Amino acid sequence: MLRESHTAIIARNERWQGEAATEPFEAGWASEAIFFLRALAAEGPTGDGRAYVQISPDGMRWVDEGTTAQVPDAAEGIAVLRVAHFGSWLRLRVTLPAGATLTPVVALSLKA
Amino acid sequence: MTVTLHDLRLADPRLSRFDPMRRIICFDDFDRGYCGWTQLVGNYEHTLDSMTASYAAHTHPQLATVSHWDAGTHGGVDGTYALKIATRPKRGIRSTAIKRLTFREAGPIRLEFYFTFKPEATELRLSETDVRSVGFLYDLQTGYEQNGLRVMPHIRFLNAENGKHIQRWQYKDETTPVREIGTEGKTATHDHLAPFGWKDIPGGEQKLCYNEIPTKINWHYMRFDFDLATMRMIEMQCNDRRYDLAGIPNIVIPAMRNLWCMLNLVFFAEAETDKRVFLYIDSVCLSGEF
Repeated sequence: MLRESHTAIIARNERWQGEAATEPFEAGWASEAIFFLRALAAEGPTGDGRAYVQISPDGMRWVDEGTTAQVPDAAEGIAVLRVAHFGSWLRLRVTLPAGATLTPVVALSLKA
Repeated sequence: MTVTLHDLRLADPRLSRFDPMRRIICFDDFDRGYCGWTQLVGNYEHTLDSMTASYAAHTHPQLATVSHWDAGTHGGVDGTYALKIATRPKRGIRSTAIKRLTFREAGPIRLEFYFTFKPEATELRLSETDVRSVGFLYDLQTGYEQNGLRVMPHIRFLNAENGKHIQRWQYKDETTPVREIGTEGKTATHDHLAPFGWKDIPGGEQKLCYNEIPTKINWHYMRFDFDLATMRMIEMQCNDRRYDLAGIPNIVIPAMRNLWCMLNLVFFAEAETDKRVFLYIDSVCLSGEF
């Protein structure tokens, strides 16, 4: 069997300010994942924001996995967060400073 | 002893829980992956802001183990994984998953699948009225040489509404007006799943096994027969009950310029409260009499 591989678009064209997170995503079949956080638009000091990979025991309670990245500071910037050994659920949490608005596309690239 | 096609299928544990027509068009066992099921993204041109809001709310389907905080992994019908359609946690919102095909023979087709549904288990109570509905539809268009129609049979199980546990099968034969998108005259949209116009299927009440806490699920069998020649519903079966659909109308609108012979399959779920709801599918068998 070929290795299963899948790209899920888990956020698209939302307006993120302050604290934001993607919807929970189940991917227990995957052994590696990359979050590509692309800025469709970036207004204000988005580059002072941070993105955090989160994992969960049940899809409802979340803890930081440890992988973080700077949020893109301009449109078409892409932040990359690579993770492995993450259990069954993944999501991306983002914190943005006052005055910053990020319009993201988040692609979650998964591989068995 | 003569071995029939039916005998062969009954001896195959992957197919013995289905009753396919002569030709299996596709058999989607989610232990093999996504099998072509994906997110139903809304139409747009030049900017994503032109997308209808109800489509923008759709989430990406997941390969799920049906795991819960209290008892761990439930698993699928015959393996570990099922396709999961999850809504966002907002009353009235919906989510979908789609598989996009075309047809080569305008005749009878049969969709069979196993399904179950639950709200997110955020409360220590049954929460049986938190899922508004789960359902399925075809998005079809006749061939170029046929009569120029786009036909969309819609079926849902109205589980609950306004706090009442209703448990009734419904159909829909209305959509919103078609809206042109952008400036190039090539893209349009309509919101066929907009929450209006659902009507009861006669005799469509059905008490499905729901179990006793929000983390126990039971799988249900569904069969839906449709004729691509007449573009009419024929019959459906859920578990032990059969429904004559011969008189049930579809959503019908004029054909669009770029959708000839389209055969799209869609599953959907609708939330009744500000809680995520999950529709699980395992597995899907689409067959045709050709």
